[in-house]
Amino acid sequence: MTICQFFLQGRCRFGERCWNEHPGAWGAGGGRQQQPSGSNRRGWNATSQRYSSVIQPSSFSKSTPWGGSREQEKPSFGSFDSGDSANRNRGFGLSQNPFATSPTSDEQKDEKKFLEGIVKDMEVWESSGQWMFSAYSPMKKKPSISGFTDISPEELRLEYHNFLTSNNLQSYLNSIQQLKNQWRNRVNELKTLNTSTKIALLSDIKDGINQATPTFGFGSRQTATFGSPVIVSLPNIQAGFPVNNSMGDNAQNSSFTTSSGFATAPTGSPSVFGNIPAFGAVPSTSPAITTSTPAPGFGKPEITSAASFSFKTPAASGFGSAGFSGFPAPMAAGPVGVPGAPAFGNSSSVAGFGSPGSHSHTPFSKSFSDTHDGHSSTSTSVPVSNGSTTTGNELFTPKHQLTAEELRQFQSKKFTLGKIPLKPPPVELLNI
Amino acid sequence: MSLFGTTSGFGTGGTSMFGSTTTDNHNPMKDIEVTSSPDDSIGCLSFSPPTLPGNFLIAGSWANDVRCWEVQDSGQTIPKAQQMHTGPVLDVCWSDDGSKVFTASCDKTAKMWDLNSNQAIQIAQHDAPVKTIHWIKAPNYSCVMTGSWDKTLKFWDTRSSNPMMVLQLPERCYCADMIYPMAVVATAERGLIVYQLENQPSEFRRIESPLKHQHRCVAIFKDKQNKPTGFALGSIEGRVAIHYINPPNPAKDNFTFKCHRSNGTNTSAPQDIYAVNGIAFHPVHGTLATVGSDGRFSFWDKDARTKLKTSEQLDQPISACCFNHNGNIFAYASSYDWSKGHEFYNPQKKNYIFLRNAAEELKPRNKK
Repeated sequence: MTICQFFLQGRCRFGERCWNEHPGAWGAGGGRQQQPSGSNRRGWNATSQRYSSVIQPSSFSKSTPWGGSREQEKPSFGSFDSGDSANRNRGFGLSQNPFATSPTSDEQKDEKKFLEGIVKDMEVWESSGQWMFSAYSPMKKKPSISGFTDISPEELRLEYHNFLTSNNLQSYLNSIQQLKNQWRNRVNELKTLNTSTKIALLSDIKDGINQATPTFGFGSRQTATFGSPVIVSLPNIQAGFPVNNSMGDNAQNSSFTTSSGFATAPTGSPSVFGNIPAFGAVPSTSPAITTSTPAPGFGKPEITSAASFSFKTPAASGFGSAGFSGFPAPMAAGPVGVPGAPAFGNSSSVAGFGSPGSHSHTPFSKSFSDTHDGHSSTSTSVPVSNGSTTTGNELFTPKHQLTAEELRQFQSKKFTLGKIPLKPPPVELLNI
Repeated sequence: MSLFGTTSGFGTGGTSMFGSTTTDNHNPMKDIEVTSSPDDSIGCLSFSPPTLPGNFLIAGSWANDVRCWEVQDSGQTIPKAQQMHTGPVLDVCWSDDGSKVFTASCDKTAKMWDLNSNQAIQIAQHDAPVKTIHWIKAPNYSCVMTGSWDKTLKFWDTRSSNPMMVLQLPERCYCADMIYPMAVVATAERGLIVYQLENQPSEFRRIESPLKHQHRCVAIFKDKQNKPTGFALGSIEGRVAIHYINPPNPAKDNFTFKCHRSNGTNTSAPQDIYAVNGIAFHPVHGTLATVGSDGRFSFWDKDARTKLKTSEQLDQPISACCFNHNGNIFAYASSYDWSKGHEFYNPQKKNYIFLRNAAEELKPRNKK
């Protein structure tokens, strides 16, 4: 087969469907049985075929490989293979493609449908009285949309009981209220869908995979988005669990052949039984991974510190728009571990991080300090002192020194702009 | 202020749904009520395996206790014993020989309860509440599998305080099921992983969630040859996904269906959507039961893709369900599942476990 020139440039619109060879793309990509789905798929095929200068026989359009991935509510479309490849393809083919920003009419229609689906789902969610603290994805097999925290009723109930026993019900109520407000805001945001939300959403879905790949361009990427009104892409990694992990058939080795420190991590994952060594290396190159769920084996010790955080302290400043005063300790601690640590002022020496984590701080602290001029985080070069595992006196704020708002900020998935704490996070919340 | 808008509250001071003062609908199905039911919400139910003569029911509750009843064929339930944890009990399971019960609790430990001696010892330790516990009996090993909110899946030889194996999960474990040689774990953030347990537990596949919302419960089903072949996954959005591991035709064989929703005035009007709290497969017929936050249970035939029966609405959510080993008894627990937050929690409200004869109602629709 001929090598696809567009693929080499990173802009093949057919992705997996392409009849030309995509060198080193998806190992499991070939030979999948795909089901024909809506006509919009075929329409898109036809259009894009005209766009490309490659002549493809018309019989190609009969087999629509996208399957049910873009279909809205066909209940029987459980083909996770097709969904998976669809995700990957879109990420691959459209990420750097100018085509993506100026789509054809069919592409626009798809997006419109997709966005309409989201609006509809939001309306249903609001009116149905269903559980609000749930991850959400607009279509099955897509990564979850950011901005929704996933909390199970049991976790919430446990927090309630814990607060009851510590006589601190008010802070529980406050945090619930805050969580609810955030949910409501997010739902409204998705219902009204102004341009920036749309862009964020579409990138959530399309770049679900790409977020993993940018060689910890994640660091810089995060810098860029942090200051912007667009939702921080960081949690998408977590949310994008199904996508980021090599899904579908046993392809546990990540098929992201892009070489990023991150992509290497999942390959190590199958062998993670009980040993963490693969991950020791990861954080040093990819600080953001500390939160990313696809990087399993993130280290039990770290999880310990994160999970041991107890909700008891009234200070609950959430970590970003999710702001849910952190019951799911690991989850909350995740993002905290990344940006929170040194960047937010007052920290002098990074204690208690251990060697992997320490590397991660330096790039972050720099990038964060750069973006946050309002903060007194002048400690751009955080002297990383490895090894000490005690709760750092200057590096981490003990919980009781944090206000409720700050603790909540740290404990949620993302910082809320305007509420980002100036103090470093408590060590218990860190999840490296 | 109601957490969830206009839906009618459940535990609000005993206002009967059906308006009658003489009958309260805590048992509209007129099923057998288990005596001495727990004082707080029941999180998990489990019947004894076939190796034990008779039927014994174990229930773990948010009152930190695990209770055991003997269920006689007459329907009489005799409380037998009880053990305590220091935190709410989230999951229970039996060993294959029926001599031990394993309990998982919010106190981050799991215990092994020897029923003969009525002693319970700790066999597992996590860094966060233990959400699921299963006993694995493989030809070459036996162990306890615990899934926790600390994002790990640990395997324990009950004799050692160190786990035999630790597998990392992408997120907090929300539910799991195990039928040798397959285990399924559903995690937060819509994570879904299948494990194969032959030789030693290892990750078999990570699956993209067929559901759009939070995973709540999962149950494995078997094929005609009695081998585990797929699972049913329930979410908080009143939907269950039936998923086969290696189907001949994934797009056709895998499907989702809606359940535990109110009808509303008509199908296009907003309906109330309730979480699916538990799924259980009938051990003989292969049909499944789902229980939801709406206080109903439903029986379904997944092969015929039809609903077999839906119950009347109880006044409380149904938080757990279980079949006994031969499928004659269907047990379900009526207690508050926190689906509407703390505002609807009424500690005074009585919690029930009901037993229903399941031999007839769960027969599959089409018999070949």
